[in-house]
Amino acid sequence: MDTMIQLIHVSKYYNRRAALSDVTLEIEKGEFVLLMGPSGAGKSTLLHLLIGEEQPDEGQIFVQGKNVSKLKQSEVPYLRRKVGSVFQDFRLLPKKSVFENVALPLIVQGASATDIRRKVTEALRAVGLELKKDQPPNSLSTGERQRVCIARAIVNGPIVLLADEPTGNLDPERTAEIIELFKLINARGTTVIVATHDPLVMTQVNRRVVTLAQGVMVSEPRLGERVGV
Amino acid sequence: MRRLFYPVREAWANMRTNRTTTVVAILTTAFTLACVGIFLLLYVNLRSAAAWLQEDIKIIVYLDDRTTREGAQELESKLKADRMVATALFISKEQALGEFRAQFPSDSHLLEGLGENPLPASFVVTLAPSFRSPDAVTRWAERARTMTGVAKVDYNQEWIDALAGLIRYIELAAIGVGVILSAAAVTIIGNTIRLALFSRREEIEILRLIGATRAFIQIPYFLEGAVLGVFGSALSLGILKFGFELFRQQVGAAGRFQGIENMVSFFPLSICLAFVLVGMGLGFAGSVVSLRRFGEGRA
Repeated sequence: MDTMIQLIHVSKYYNRRAALSDVTLEIEKGEFVLLMGPSGAGKSTLLHLLIGEEQPDEGQIFVQGKNVSKLKQSEVPYLRRKVGSVFQDFRLLPKKSVFENVALPLIVQGASATDIRRKVTEALRAVGLELKKDQPPNSLSTGERQRVCIARAIVNGPIVLLADEPTGNLDPERTAEIIELFKLINARGTTVIVATHDPLVMTQVNRRVVTLAQGVMVSEPRLGERVGV
Repeated sequence: MRRLFYPVREAWANMRTNRTTTVVAILTTAFTLACVGIFLLLYVNLRSAAAWLQEDIKIIVYLDDRTTREGAQELESKLKADRMVATALFISKEQALGEFRAQFPSDSHLLEGLGENPLPASFVVTLAPSFRSPDAVTRWAERARTMTGVAKVDYNQEWIDALAGLIRYIELAAIGVGVILSAAAVTIIGNTIRLALFSRREEIEILRLIGATRAFIQIPYFLEGAVLGVFGSALSLGILKFGFELFRQQVGAAGRFQGIENMVSFFPLSICLAFVLVGMGLGFAGSVVSLRRFGEGRA
């Protein structure tokens, strides 16, 4: 299989404290990886590094063969168009409708109105919110808002989908729905990385698990070794 | 198309959301630019008054009484051949006396006791339009003094120098006030943009994370700054025009300075357009300053 993401001896420090320490990891195209660990383990830092939000202090990071640790500031937006992000707090614009929120990544890329209509409708259908496209996000339930966030992350067909604690605000039933949605997206060929501290998610996903503790990878000792795939 | 339309719609939404701040920014910018406009208006009118007065500048070249008729003719040819001279009108001693009597009939008896006509012959010289600046007039007069047969050269030098000095002061004041108040306008608009940036920081963050480029994020704020500048400067022109017409009306009604109201004029269309463009530029600069300080638009 092709390698989609590669971290080689990556370290990141905040005030001399290591948020990530010597992490080496390889994720292949189409994989579904759970990034587990308690709060402060370095899961979010790792995701931030993957979208160029932060730069590693040591090591190299490759996404689809491109060294993202050496990207120029002007190249970062183009990386983020290939890597969709889902957030725990949804990060939706309250004054825009569900449709407008989901359309945002396409508008940013300069897609035509026809393309936007088609792709947004497809994405909303995929998350089961086609009928709520004209509503403001605040009128939706938390589970539905997370679905809008997922629709926005997949609308432009990203090669990788990153989710940072996507079920943190959801009850077990909604959590199961969201995990099913990620599995569906993964089944269509998108590499999915979900960072979570919730053991319930692990039991529902039953895929490869990478565990971090205090910035150190504890469950993947060697490059290329896959667990639970 | 949607991508082009998006920044315009966002800029408009910004202004509508922060309506009060937008109105306050336009009003304060308008009054600030109106202050600059007052100096500019004064400067433009004084310049045109100076140009009008300079058109009327006559240099009187008095001839030495010993100058013969041939000498006067030679001087006339010399003057007319000079590229700096537009016209040179000869006034004989007799004509000068006649003019004096015509202009001061009650004082004509003063000359009767003197026997011979004491008034000298002269040339009334008007310089070509491109040589009517105070410096050029002074230079030419200095040169004319050295010509053969010339006794004295006279022109209203003090008046010209005073006017030139006043224009220079007004020019300096306009530049000084203009720079200070332009900086104030930039700050006012900049603060409005900063408020808009602050109120939309979450949206900016989301745009960054979904792959918006720096330009895509910044353009609505540049547009907003430019629009505030355009509205502010256009309104300031309205305030100035209103004040100007009021001034003209009051001066006309006072009667004391009658005629002045017809001599002063408002900015021509070209200056009005330039004023609005400058306002737009200041607004744009305000946005640039704010975006830099706010550190937004980074990837």
